[in-house]
Amino acid sequence: MSEMVKKMDRRAWGLKPSGLYAGLLLLLCLAAWPALMGPYVLHVAILVCLNILIVNGLSIIERAGQLSFGHSAFVAFGAYGSVLMSMHFGLSPMAGGVLALILAAIIALVLGGVILRLKGVYFVLVTFAFAELTRLALMDWADLTGGANGIAAIPAFELFGYAFDTRPRFYGLVLVAVAFSIILTYRIFRNPLGEAFRAVAENGALAESTGLSVYRLQLLAFIIGCMLAALGGVLMARYIGFVSPESFNLNVSVGLVTMLVIGGRGSLWGPAVGAIVLTTLPEVFRGALQTQHIFYGIALILILRFLPGGLAGVPGLLRGRQKVS
Amino acid sequence: MLIAQATVNGLVVGLLYLFMAVGFTLVFGVMRMVNFAHGEFYMLGAFSAYVLTTGLHLPFLVSVVLTLVAAIVVGGLLEYLILKPLRKDELNGMIVTIGLAMVLQNGALLVFGPDPLSMPAVITGTTRIGSIVIPNSRVYVVVFAVIILALLYVFLRYSRSGRALRAVVESFQIASIQGIPARVFYPLGFGLGVGLAAVAGALMAPLFVVSAFNGTTPLLKAFIVVILGGLGSIPGAVVAGLALGLIESYAGLFFKSSTADMIIFLVVIVMLVLMPRGLLGKGDV
Amino acid sequence: MVTRRISLTFGAALVVAAFTGLPAGASAQETLKIGAMVTLSGPGAAWGLAMKNGAQIAADEVNAKGGLEVAGKKYKVEIIAYDDKYQANEAVTVTNRLVHEDKVKYMIGPLGSAPAVAVLPITEKNKVITIMMAFTPKALGPDKPHSFRVCITTAEVSQPQIDWIVKSRNLKKVGGLFPNDESGQVIAKDLQKAYQHAGADLVAVELFERDRVDFVPLLTRMFAKGIDAIELDGNSPSTAGLIVKQARELGFTGTIARTGGPATADIVNVAGKEATEGMLVHTPLNPGLPSTKAYMDRYQATYKSPMNGFSPSFYDGANMLFEAMRRAGTVSDTDKVSHELENLKDFSGALGTLNWTGKQSYGIDHQLNIPFYVAEVVDGAEVIRATCSVDKCE
Repeated sequence: MSEMVKKMDRRAWGLKPSGLYAGLLLLLCLAAWPALMGPYVLHVAILVCLNILIVNGLSIIERAGQLSFGHSAFVAFGAYGSVLMSMHFGLSPMAGGVLALILAAIIALVLGGVILRLKGVYFVLVTFAFAELTRLALMDWADLTGGANGIAAIPAFELFGYAFDTRPRFYGLVLVAVAFSIILTYRIFRNPLGEAFRAVAENGALAESTGLSVYRLQLLAFIIGCMLAALGGVLMARYIGFVSPESFNLNVSVGLVTMLVIGGRGSLWGPAVGAIVLTTLPEVFRGALQTQHIFYGIALILILRFLPGGLAGVPGLLRGRQKVS
Repeated sequence: MLIAQATVNGLVVGLLYLFMAVGFTLVFGVMRMVNFAHGEFYMLGAFSAYVLTTGLHLPFLVSVVLTLVAAIVVGGLLEYLILKPLRKDELNGMIVTIGLAMVLQNGALLVFGPDPLSMPAVITGTTRIGSIVIPNSRVYVVVFAVIILALLYVFLRYSRSGRALRAVVESFQIASIQGIPARVFYPLGFGLGVGLAAVAGALMAPLFVVSAFNGTTPLLKAFIVVILGGLGSIPGAVVAGLALGLIESYAGLFFKSSTADMIIFLVVIVMLVLMPRGLLGKGDV
Repeated sequence: MVTRRISLTFGAALVVAAFTGLPAGASAQETLKIGAMVTLSGPGAAWGLAMKNGAQIAADEVNAKGGLEVAGKKYKVEIIAYDDKYQANEAVTVTNRLVHEDKVKYMIGPLGSAPAVAVLPITEKNKVITIMMAFTPKALGPDKPHSFRVCITTAEVSQPQIDWIVKSRNLKKVGGLFPNDESGQVIAKDLQKAYQHAGADLVAVELFERDRVDFVPLLTRMFAKGIDAIELDGNSPSTAGLIVKQARELGFTGTIARTGGPATADIVNVAGKEATEGMLVHTPLNPGLPSTKAYMDRYQATYKSPMNGFSPSFYDGANMLFEAMRRAGTVSDTDKVSHELENLKDFSGALGTLNWTGKQSYGIDHQLNIPFYVAEVVDGAEVIRATCSVDKCE
């Protein structure tokens, strides 16, 4: 029994409280730096944070054993949902945002309820199809969504009258959201619930025999994960000031999964590492975009071959090696 | 009359889709792997045909045959070098093919640039049957597609390696018990699968433009055809490919094209949920 | 514990090092940076390249003479180009990069209408002068003093051309295929009005996804309505080529016309000479004009690929920008430069004598008025059949 616990522990790097605090502190230090570097770097930092938020949602779903290739659709539900509800019902951004989250949860409940009995690649394919269907719907129902032209001039996010209309202010808001998502992920992973998720992911039949319902647990993970994606969408729409279906296409979904895998599945910090690496590198190595993407492809292949725990798993590997020898 | 033309359009396009999809279903059937790089092999096949015909001035059919052979070899090598450690791991194997797709697409972008290229027509004119019109270029592709599919059928049914591949599709365990060596049928299956994609791309290159972004559509169509017909089932892919072509053609008559696309994806989702094995699929879910 | 702390610090150091790799973005005294925010991939790439190359040729010419001389100082002109992939999202990020990181004050582009709607708020807020293609009427206005368009749009050119084409080919029913986005929808509406005004009827309008390559079902539907002509305006060059090719393959023998958006070289490239024989196209290029021919030759020699008809507009646009800077005596005060730019009259460019127009339609004269023609495609080349102005063609 203690062997099993030790094994689980090794994989769950960063789940000790000291790990969480150290990591959050590091992020905070890193986060202060873009604020001093000018509007463009700040812009990139905000995009990084939004991605961390969204990929954390993906990470929770993955924890329970399913890989969703439709995550971008839920970002879209958050973005379009909150904007449309604010526009048509005259709601404040916050109210619109909350309603959008509820909408996303309902869609996740219904969709997940139907598709979660599929496993592995079949689940991948159906979420893939769902993402494409969502994008086509957004394009087609132009009366509601603005179609291919999208919706422009979206007002900034507001909380009780305080408008987050400058970049630094919005950065603060999004940092809070990111911290929230990381703490939430941490609590879930640490919680018996997280252990249940993992049990279900590793061996569904075994988990069922101990009384866990694979279906219900995966559905719960799916709903929570999709709500985080929607939250990212709500904030993103208010920041960019513009939404269009093209921002939620299949490449985005695949990109999110890539961030998770390169960053590290099963790790608390995987999403953060993946988002930071994959969002900033194009900006750092400006130009030669194709070469970069070739590197991502190779990185993906190498990581799956040699580093299944992703980049975030590297310290754990080093530590593990020390222990074992 | 319109319906008749739409029917013929649908069947022709359906055969094209089938041709795009058959390699994909073969790879899944043999290796249980969803090959996200499938479309990129199609795209590379088109470029290969382009380069061989306009650069080296080889006759079109020679270029196509060379492309097929090269793709099978390259595919087999790639499988052996990259995918081998992940042979039993469906999900991670799939993600590796995503990485492969990125490398291939961006490699093509680097080499050929982003501007779409045009291949000279191989055959021109139209065939008329009554009031129904079919462009000859499409007839050409359809004829060859049928020939290649027939050859594939013969190979799978009557040759030793072909039968081994089919056995693997039927049941992995039994096949390995029979002693069919993994080191042969994995690379063979993958090579053949991507070879089919590449030859489809090569034959269809004169129909449209040749561009590094061409891979997305065949991948999506392959997904749809194979989900509807059953992952791993070639007869299923035949039925589903034709059905998809017909649905698109008829829906295009009555609805906007975007609505037609939406309907198809909805059908796909419903299909996956109700009949994940597809119409004629094999293998466990 | 120790290893973890070490790896944390190491990781942090790596990331910080990566970030510090970002250039500070200060422009050297002697370099004048001009951004190019254009589509360099996908169906719109032909246009994006035309824009970038046009500006680049202008820059090269000026640099060859020792640099752009403004108020006694010489500047080396540098074009910084990024790909917006015709996506509004990407356009926003790229514009942010150009404006805040590369600190450009002048931008060639945007190309597409949807990207333009998304980024003009940013460029106007930062007083960046944009020399653009974007066809949407929302791109110009008195509230956008720094936005200029150097390509004439359907609003300006279609009516006189359509009048001429309808008369000369005796057209009654016309069909058109358009991409389902801002540009496509705007153009479809404009054309519908124009054809009606000319006495014909745009009976069939099909909107499709931008990346579509198979038009056979759409064409089939259109032919069933008994059209005698197909209108190609609004489509990217390679898409237009595919439509022509497939229409002819389906046996369509009627007139094919493209009343806007020069694309002949690309269309002939894709569809072949036979299919395009007899097409009527809009063109701003009159090879009879020495200045135009000189530019076309220069482009061919430099880039060795077919030149899209939009390119001279941007060559001229860049040169007008340089002239405006010279007259304003500054490269950094864009209010002054805008003022000088819009006051340029009878500018002698590759396309001929150029003036600004547009007050009636947009409220401000920031639309370049260039001479244009109706040409017939004969054996793959344009032969001018009528000379046009905003009133009529003959």
